Amino acid sequence: MSEPINIRLLGPGTRVVLEDGAVAEIVSNPLDGVWVFARYLTSPGDPGRVGSEEMIFAQDIVEIGEAG
Amino acid sequence: MVTARKEGYRTGLVNMTAGQISREIFVNDEIYQQELERLFARVWLFVGHESQIPKPGDYFVSGMGEESVLLCRDRANKVHVFLNSCRHRGMKVCRYDEGNTPVFTCPYHGWSYGTDGKLVGVPYFREAYHQQLDKSQWGLIEVPQLCLYKGTVWASWDPAAPPFLEYLGDFVRYLDLTLDGWDGSEGGTEILGGIQKWRIPCNWKFPAENFCGDSYHNISHRSVDLVGIGPSGSGRRDMQERQMARRLQVSFYERGHQTGVYLFPKDQPVPPSYQHSPIVSEYFAHCEAERQRKRGEWGRLIGSPGEIFPNTALHPRQPRTIAVWHPRGTHQTEVWRWYLVDSAAPPEVKDFLRDYYIRYSGPAGMTEQDDMENWNYAHAASRGTIARRHPYSYEQGMGFETENYEWQGLRIPGTVMDITEAKSSEHNLRNLYRRWAEFMEAGSWDELATWRMARAAE
Repeated sequence: MSEPINIRLLGPGTRVVLEDGAVAEIVSNPLDGVWVFARYLTSPGDPGRVGSEEMIFAQDIVEIGEAG
Repeated sequence: MVTARKEGYRTGLVNMTAGQISREIFVNDEIYQQELERLFARVWLFVGHESQIPKPGDYFVSGMGEESVLLCRDRANKVHVFLNSCRHRGMKVCRYDEGNTPVFTCPYHGWSYGTDGKLVGVPYFREAYHQQLDKSQWGLIEVPQLCLYKGTVWASWDPAAPPFLEYLGDFVRYLDLTLDGWDGSEGGTEILGGIQKWRIPCNWKFPAENFCGDSYHNISHRSVDLVGIGPSGSGRRDMQERQMARRLQVSFYERGHQTGVYLFPKDQPVPPSYQHSPIVSEYFAHCEAERQRKRGEWGRLIGSPGEIFPNTALHPRQPRTIAVWHPRGTHQTEVWRWYLVDSAAPPEVKDFLRDYYIRYSGPAGMTEQDDMENWNYAHAASRGTIARRHPYSYEQGMGFETENYEWQGLRIPGTVMDITEAKSSEHNLRNLYRRWAEFMEAGSWDELATWRMARAAE
């Protein structure tokens, strides 16, 4: 299990890797420590999500990705 | 122990024929629990002021009865009042006093709500719920009735309650004495500074009845009057109006609202006030003249403490405040006090008033400390087995009320007690408890909105 990530430190533009392998870019952060608003860049398990904006749960974020 | 149901509220505990009220209604836990259901879940309650939430996403955590509520402005600029409790397991979704946010997130399991109350975030929605939870059914619980009136925000949990302005009836004219600009401009007030909050070890009805117009307790403030904290350097307020105005208590029997007012003689200018500051004194002199010009005969009226049933106190003049007596159990009250000033007042005036208001009111205010000490010990001394056997007297001035009161061409709405010569009366206090008893007995608003019956009969 990866180390927990403090998502309160993640600003807009940060890319995050999700548990299912998808990559999303943070659009805004409400700083509640639970959610971020992000846009899907890739989604191997569900390609239809690419481009859509969703709330991402903190425990679904497993890694901070490389900047685009 | 006397129980509410066996005795009946009107005949046993609140005896308006004899002018006596049992101490049980202040100290009995069973009665208190029934109050939460029969009163606080049915009436209109003051929640806050729009100036506290000017931008989309702004919120202010307020209270209705014992319960925490969120007053917020959504992204579409619409004002809402929600129960501050997650639909999943009930945790507060907001634990700050105020702020700005795109979402309210429950820290327990992470359910998240938009500022419009919609459930927008459910952890593991796909995996654990298999996308089968109907989010549209699990938004924050919103009050069924909300009213924005001249900047103030009011709400009721009862969908059957009459609309707020009908709930007020003609009393709205007295509320306006607090909410309109001092120069008579419509709704020209704003909240000054933050909200003062503090707790007092007494039942909420002790402060509520005091602010109905209990002029009898003036002696309690003798020390403050001697110190001279008033804005003209003496007393605790500018009191010159007492020398020339009729001093009235006004009650609305069918609604339960009441207030004191000063009615000035025709064509008589209001005496100078705020003489400790030439700028402030000049400002109010200008406003008084403007108010009389704009409001005509009604401009002869100056407000005095009053109460919108059951727990919103109005203090229209010195200091100008709205207070809410939040029940916090049978034996404790949490006071929240909003201070108001004219939006258009110069900064010097607002600064002067801030200093004066804090000197007078609030947990450290010299006048309010007197009151709190009385309520604290009156409550404690009424809890004992022997004490509870003996009712309080509310007989003062019974039978001297006047309908259709008029003086020098101005008719005053409501049932009036002229206390100019009498000095004091418990007319307004009786009205509070008369209405309280009606609420405790009535099964529905069909029984409470008696004015509708009269209208239908016509």
